[in-house]
Amino acid sequence: MSKKKEQASATHIRRSAGDWAFDAALIVLFSLFTLICIFPFYYLLINTISDNDLVTSGRVNFIPLLKDAAGNGVPGIQLNNYAALRNVNDLGTSVIVTVIRTVLGTVLMVITSAWAGYLVTKQKMWKRSFWYRFLVITMYFNAGLVPWYMNMLMMGLTDNFLAYIIPGMVAPYNIILVKTYIESIPASLEESAVIDGASTSRVWLRIILPLSVPILATIAIFGAVGNWNSFQDSLLLMNNRPDLYTLQHRLYVYLNSSSNLGAMMSQGGQVSEQAAQSMLNQRVIQYTVSMVSIIPILLVYPFMQRFFVKGIMLGAVKG
Amino acid sequence: MEKSAQNPQQVSAGERIPLWIFRMAALIAGMAVFFPPVNPGRVSGKINQAASLFTTGISRDTVTNSMGRILRSQWILDGDIQSLMIACIVIMLGVAACAAGAAMSLGNRRMRKTGLILPLAGAPVMGIGLYLIQTVYNRMVAHGTEVDKLDRLELGMPGGFTVYCVFAGVLFVTGLIAFLTAEKETDPEVKMGMEEKYKLFLMILPVILLAFIFCYLPIWGWRFAFFDYIPGGDIGAENYVGLKWFHFLFSDPATTRDLIRVLRNTLAMSGLGIVTSWLPIAFAVLLAEIRSRKFQRFVQTFTTIPNFISWVLVYAIAISIFSSDGFINSFLTNVLHRAGANTNYLQIADHTWLKMLLWGTWKGIGWSAIVYIAGIAGIDQQLYEAARVDGANRFRCIWHITIPGLMPTYMVMLLMSIAGILSNGMEQYLVFSNAMNKDVIEVLDLYVYNIGIGQNKISLSTVVGVAKSLVGVTLLFGANGISKAIRGESII
Repeated sequence: MSKKKEQASATHIRRSAGDWAFDAALIVLFSLFTLICIFPFYYLLINTISDNDLVTSGRVNFIPLLKDAAGNGVPGIQLNNYAALRNVNDLGTSVIVTVIRTVLGTVLMVITSAWAGYLVTKQKMWKRSFWYRFLVITMYFNAGLVPWYMNMLMMGLTDNFLAYIIPGMVAPYNIILVKTYIESIPASLEESAVIDGASTSRVWLRIILPLSVPILATIAIFGAVGNWNSFQDSLLLMNNRPDLYTLQHRLYVYLNSSSNLGAMMSQGGQVSEQAAQSMLNQRVIQYTVSMVSIIPILLVYPFMQRFFVKGIMLGAVKG
Repeated sequence: MEKSAQNPQQVSAGERIPLWIFRMAALIAGMAVFFPPVNPGRVSGKINQAASLFTTGISRDTVTNSMGRILRSQWILDGDIQSLMIACIVIMLGVAACAAGAAMSLGNRRMRKTGLILPLAGAPVMGIGLYLIQTVYNRMVAHGTEVDKLDRLELGMPGGFTVYCVFAGVLFVTGLIAFLTAEKETDPEVKMGMEEKYKLFLMILPVILLAFIFCYLPIWGWRFAFFDYIPGGDIGAENYVGLKWFHFLFSDPATTRDLIRVLRNTLAMSGLGIVTSWLPIAFAVLLAEIRSRKFQRFVQTFTTIPNFISWVLVYAIAISIFSSDGFINSFLTNVLHRAGANTNYLQIADHTWLKMLLWGTWKGIGWSAIVYIAGIAGIDQQLYEAARVDGANRFRCIWHITIPGLMPTYMVMLLMSIAGILSNGMEQYLVFSNAMNKDVIEVLDLYVYNIGIGQNKISLSTVVGVAKSLVGVTLLFGANGISKAIRGESII
């Protein structure tokens, strides 16, 4: 480092050999790290679309392979594993539960945050700063896992789908984001509406909501990912209702089940022989279910990216 | 009188106290509607324990989901269930009227006087609902005796019934006093209205109540720390144990040993996280040194993805790479032709702390770097130009401009991570724990989960949780104090 420094300072206008070397090293370093970040996803993918025999024998390392007539691996893909997922026990219900949870939970969270975030900008509110702090403190303080669990038990929110929706509605961090954003909207827009006689809720609906779409989109997309990835509440609260397990919880169960294929596949005649044959081992099921829960994230990811900086920068501005 | 007539908002001293008592009573009664423990409609042990008055009134399924046989055999008549639900709805209407009255009592004199009529009607309506429940109960008992299945029905008047009788009484009396003491609006010109400040407050009240129920009410659960609580049982004077569990932490050798081990894991892994907390800055600074914008975007895009997958999926990925039939082993076997490579790296407990740190870094570094990348973009370019004119090379620019520019953000992040030193969360450690590494991977959060939810030691785990919360709050205020002292700015 110090040697490079000397070289660089010697010829600081033109780029020295040291500079070139440094740049090259950086590019290699970052390429390597990026590879480490994406290869596992790729590896998971090729293992779900290759021939299962080859996967089991560990021959699928870099490209998806199918068997030719002689049983050797040739590049190619198949989607039987995904088709066979419909025979995996309880997976369908988990997907449905998670999708409903993601949609409902996100919509309600966004509405609540938008509403509360707007109201806390109102200086006129009775004891405004107290109530604002009352909401914000919940970010930094929690009573602990077990008291929280006992509270949910008392509220009747164990083994209850509402447990996924209602507690998530109040998200103090998102309220702060919305508040900060609304404060950046010129007050004159709102004032003119008030002069025209619009009520608070009307101003919110007609002026504030349309203007704060960027921040609402930000919290919506982050909220949706959070809901999709939810695992802990399902693990803690749904002990007697396996039909309400979220997808991540279901996957966790699969990953930890040492049982064989038969236990995971539904019994009975409607299981097509071919599908059952193609699901040769548990690993492939695990990989395929993992892919299914990753794919939605990857699909919304390009849209999310636009909101990263906005979300974080606003977060850095404290309430 | 003349003066107060000019200000119809004003609440006189005599009105204030009865008004507040009535409002609090209405608030509590309103919230109790959603509390299963005080459900006045749970006249049978067969009615779902988790059903609140609200659920009992609106969801027939919840009421009857564990009495299939009873209903099929008509030990309880369908009509009685319907009457019960109607009774619950009637009670709720009464409560709603009282709550509306309480909300209106925030208005001007005319609105106040009008609103306070509502509890005078609402409380009797609650009484009617309660009377209906009593009737339904009597009918159920009579019918149960008739079919001789009384013992199977677990009938009994719930504690919530008494609670609601008290609510109805209190609401009526306080509402009446408030109504009588409320001054009448003498000026016929004044219409009903409410000050903006109270309107706004009533609008945000539902959000505040939700926050109260899910974030503040759990503190009420701290009481379990002082009782010998058995799940499903009750707490009361007979199992009050004072500070026994707090002493137990230090007097029971096994627990003390566990606690020390868990604390060591927690502090070690949090400590490693804090020691390496500069990595995202290095990542951002070095990435900014690369001239190709396209390459920067490419790196940023793909290194951020892992942040958005759950720890369960990270574990799935870990299995696919490091398990005995994972990538590493199949690579060794099939590409490098190394025989007998089937180590399950996930089962090896060596360097667990370091491995957890690496997983955390893999998942989080790209994301954590974004705040610094944005920070670098926000640094005034003129500073760099001026420095270059003065003869500074790129390393000097980094050292004297970029890094100082990022320091304020870093300090906030660092102080926050110090304040959260005891809270590493449990998800990561839960999914990665196994029989081999459980001694070195169990952090405080996971320990609380394991003994509290796993072994049902509610009281003991509450004690640990309380201690953790208190230490956490202390650290947070400490960090905030430091931040105020050094930077003159608070972080919370």
